[in-house]
Amino acid sequence: MDTVISSPAVSKVRKVAPMQGETSVQKPDTPSLSMMLEDRKASRANPPKATAERLNFWYGTNQALKNINLVIPEHQVTALIGPSGCGKSTFLRCFNRMHDLQPDTKYDGAITLRPDNVNLVGPETDPIEVRMRIGMVFQKPNPFPKSVFENVAYGLRLRGVTNRTELAERVEKALRGAAIWDEVKDRLNDSALALSGGQMQRVCISRALATEPEILLFDEPTSALDPIATAKIEELITELRQRVTVLIVTHNMQQAARVSDFTAFMYLGELVEVDATSKIFTNPSKKATEDYITGRYG
Amino acid sequence: MKVADPLEGHTSKTVDQSLHDLRTHAVEMGGLVIDQVGSAVKALLDRDANLAGRVLSREPVVNEYESRIDRESLTFMALHQPVASDLRVARAIARAALELERVGDESKKIARFAAKVGAVAPHDPVAAVARSLRHMASLSTTLLRSAVRALDEANPALAREVLDRDREIDEEFASALRQVMSFVIEDQQFLRATVDTVFALKGLERIGDHAKNVAEQVLYMVEGERPRKQKKGDRGQGTGDS
Repeated sequence: MDTVISSPAVSKVRKVAPMQGETSVQKPDTPSLSMMLEDRKASRANPPKATAERLNFWYGTNQALKNINLVIPEHQVTALIGPSGCGKSTFLRCFNRMHDLQPDTKYDGAITLRPDNVNLVGPETDPIEVRMRIGMVFQKPNPFPKSVFENVAYGLRLRGVTNRTELAERVEKALRGAAIWDEVKDRLNDSALALSGGQMQRVCISRALATEPEILLFDEPTSALDPIATAKIEELITELRQRVTVLIVTHNMQQAARVSDFTAFMYLGELVEVDATSKIFTNPSKKATEDYITGRYG
Repeated sequence: MKVADPLEGHTSKTVDQSLHDLRTHAVEMGGLVIDQVGSAVKALLDRDANLAGRVLSREPVVNEYESRIDRESLTFMALHQPVASDLRVARAIARAALELERVGDESKKIARFAAKVGAVAPHDPVAAVARSLRHMASLSTTLLRSAVRALDEANPALAREVLDRDREIDEEFASALRQVMSFVIEDQQFLRATVDTVFALKGLERIGDHAKNVAEQVLYMVEGERPRKQKKGDRGQGTGDS
């Protein structure tokens, strides 16, 4: 299939309401209330931040991604769900070229990042440049064995920020952005490894936010955390969409339902279905999606 | 989307069992309220106070079924967090049970009237519209039976049939109202009984609406989309809202 799978809301907004804002939707006929509500929802769908087109990926001879076509809307949360081994983490890792660290891997196709249309997986694109624009948060909190401050300042120093005042300001902004400032403001010089799991994960999110990425990737960000810490991270993800575009891989379907605007279901390396999260979890179009989310898989 | 049997095939057999229990209780409740409607109207037509009393005594059982289904569906949602067809099934059954409980209420009102209406008098409003009462009771129980069967079998074709046939009750109701009006113009001796007869007819018309609402729940449960509401111009002269 060569057409790019886009959520109906995204394609609708392109046709009906190219500009943002709830009042911009105009329809020729008198709309019903439900149509108006749908349109209001559609008007919240943003233009694409990144688009995967005919994306294939191989680990050696094993093809892990098969012809993935997917639009990631800007400033919204897109969740990738699917059983283990379906390729969702592999797909996520293509965005910051993490596979480059492994030998004998091959990309084919494109992930085009807006607004400058850089192909993130193109051989001509420098992976370091890519990683400057795309942040990532992993399953297990992985702070550096440094102080809280130095963890968050690390990326900034790499980019040549040396001014102490600027560093302090940007570290504070990142920590506030990850909703952990109040908890660590008096412990900035303590080791980040001394924090709780949830706090460490939020420091890692601060570290990713500090360099002001355009897309933030989350790979199972709460599977090692307790429900309270999970709720805090989920609330944070919901808030973060105002600043960055979020792509999250999760095994927890309720989490995908709670935090995402769009949900993509992957199976055996293929993208089966993508749609508004509310649609996927009430009336998915594909039987495979239905079977997976209702626990009939396997 | 349509699935073969929306209740089966889960990895967790507890989910299969919970959904089966919900459906079984809704179908049992459906059988009970269909009998309540038939018995209430029979009690009214036959002036059988004993039968009316039996309908009234069974009313708490109908309510208990509704509470039980509501409780079970809520527990199922809380414990299993169903999505997609599972969520639609649990919700549709809970809402269908609410509709059936209201059918029970309408039967109760008819039974109360039957209990106090007394023997047949020469100019009796019930006798004047007996044919319509019988016809509406037959239609409404037929539609209810189809709606409950559609729920049991997850059968959208049967549900659509119920939606299409509801207008027959509406038409019969309009015709019965005209008869009552003619009756009351000629004889104002039984004003109270006439008002109660209109309420009984209206109750049967509402039962048709409740059957239709159950059928709409079935369609949403199976197809995931709400059936398009009929436009006013497409309807008969009935006054049913749904």
